[in-house]
Amino acid sequence: MFGWLLNPVYVTWIIEGLLLTIEITLFGVALGLGLGTLLAIGDIYGNKPLKAAIAVYVEFFRGSPLFVQLFLAVYTVPALLNVRIDHYVLAFLVFGLNSAGYQKGYIKGAMETILGDQMQAGLSTGMSKLQTLRHVILPQAYRIVIPSWTNEFCSLTKSTAVVSYGGLSDLIAAGISIKGITYQVLPVWLVVGIIYFVWITCFSKVMDIIYERKKIPGIELLMQ
Amino acid sequence: MTDFVMEARHVYKAYGIKNAKKAEKTGAGVDVKHVVEAVKDVSLQIRKGDIKLIFGPSGSGKSTFLRCLAMLEIPDKGEIYLGNECLTKPGVDLNKARARIGFVFQHIYLFRHLTALGNVELALRQVLKLPKEEARKRALDALSEVKVTDCASKYPAQMSGGQAQRIGIARALARNPDIILLDEPTSALDPELTGEVIDTLRDLAKEGTTMLIVSHEMPFAREVAEEMIFYDEGRVVETGPPSQFFNAPNTDRAKQFMTRIINRTTRE
Repeated sequence: MFGWLLNPVYVTWIIEGLLLTIEITLFGVALGLGLGTLLAIGDIYGNKPLKAAIAVYVEFFRGSPLFVQLFLAVYTVPALLNVRIDHYVLAFLVFGLNSAGYQKGYIKGAMETILGDQMQAGLSTGMSKLQTLRHVILPQAYRIVIPSWTNEFCSLTKSTAVVSYGGLSDLIAAGISIKGITYQVLPVWLVVGIIYFVWITCFSKVMDIIYERKKIPGIELLMQ
Repeated sequence: MTDFVMEARHVYKAYGIKNAKKAEKTGAGVDVKHVVEAVKDVSLQIRKGDIKLIFGPSGSGKSTFLRCLAMLEIPDKGEIYLGNECLTKPGVDLNKARARIGFVFQHIYLFRHLTALGNVELALRQVLKLPKEEARKRALDALSEVKVTDCASKYPAQMSGGQAQRIGIARALARNPDIILLDEPTSALDPELTGEVIDTLRDLAKEGTTMLIVSHEMPFAREVAEEMIFYDEGRVVETGPPSQFFNAPNTDRAKQFMTRIINRTTRE
């Protein structure tokens, strides 16, 4: 049943698939964090047209399936523009843009709980709005966002399965290939499932530790 | 050329005024109820070394006026001068102006993610652009001035209210501002902790720090204030030395308020 696990070719596929999954996820979450922060700031301080544009952006990426977004990015948009772009790059971008749509909400929510008094305090010391955002608001907001960020990471990891439709070999794609050759359907999906589970659990635990370490000392007392 | 550190001329600030203006434009009629006039035509001059105290009933707009002075709220009408610079003119660099004004908040508002030292250091590094060593030295000096050096590495949530407020004062002080505005610095503290903050303010007063304080600490006012300003319903009702208010206020409203506040203090 599990004899195929001894075949170095299959193991290589699995490892390469896992690495691609991890790369896309980490890149997606990181790009999503940067872009999500900009979107959150734009949504709080921007003028009406900017806010409207951000709303359209967020609703598009939250409201449509990732599969459709990937399809549009990989096949439709390059065809319309008549350009060739590497599928890897496009998949990475789609995941980052998609994650930004979600992360904007987390970051904006966290910022809004902090902004009132902390922005006043920052301005009162002579710092500009931007300096206060950078040195006071965001360092606190990011600490609050860590748990949501962990969730985003878990969900994005599993969503990477759709990249196989873009011709990329992630962990699921590796599973499909191996299953097609060995016909060991259940064992293959079992192994793939366990790999996801172990990776996500380990990463989440690390994030939990970071969250506890980075927590502002005594903050529970203030929030009571 | 004025010799005032800070001056307010006919400052007016109302809330909900935008909605009212919008209503006027669309012909919906002004909903007067939704416009709250917090500051109505208030003027004030402060010279170097002055200690002035604003007092009056809560909700009368004292805090709003103080925030207008620091341009944390933008007045709807009137002018604010910091030295010779008019802050209410368009195009003024308000960040630069605020760097010369110290502000102490009623609810303290320390930066929650920074230690006491970090709280004081931040603006020295970011606003005055001091090198690391010098900023640290000046921050420590400010902490020792308010006698909280032992809290230097504590976070705001780990301190008592009195310690936190003294850090708040150190944060305002460290930049050597032209003036310090204090918005009810003791009213969020329990009576036991009030004393230590008052002691700090007394020390500052001795050093000749220019201060405008909103407070109801009457014994303190009597001791350090050169002038007391009685404020009610968005206006300055009466101005005079503490002796005037403690002996015989000119206006009935001030008389009434002083009687109440003195009764309360003696009962305690």
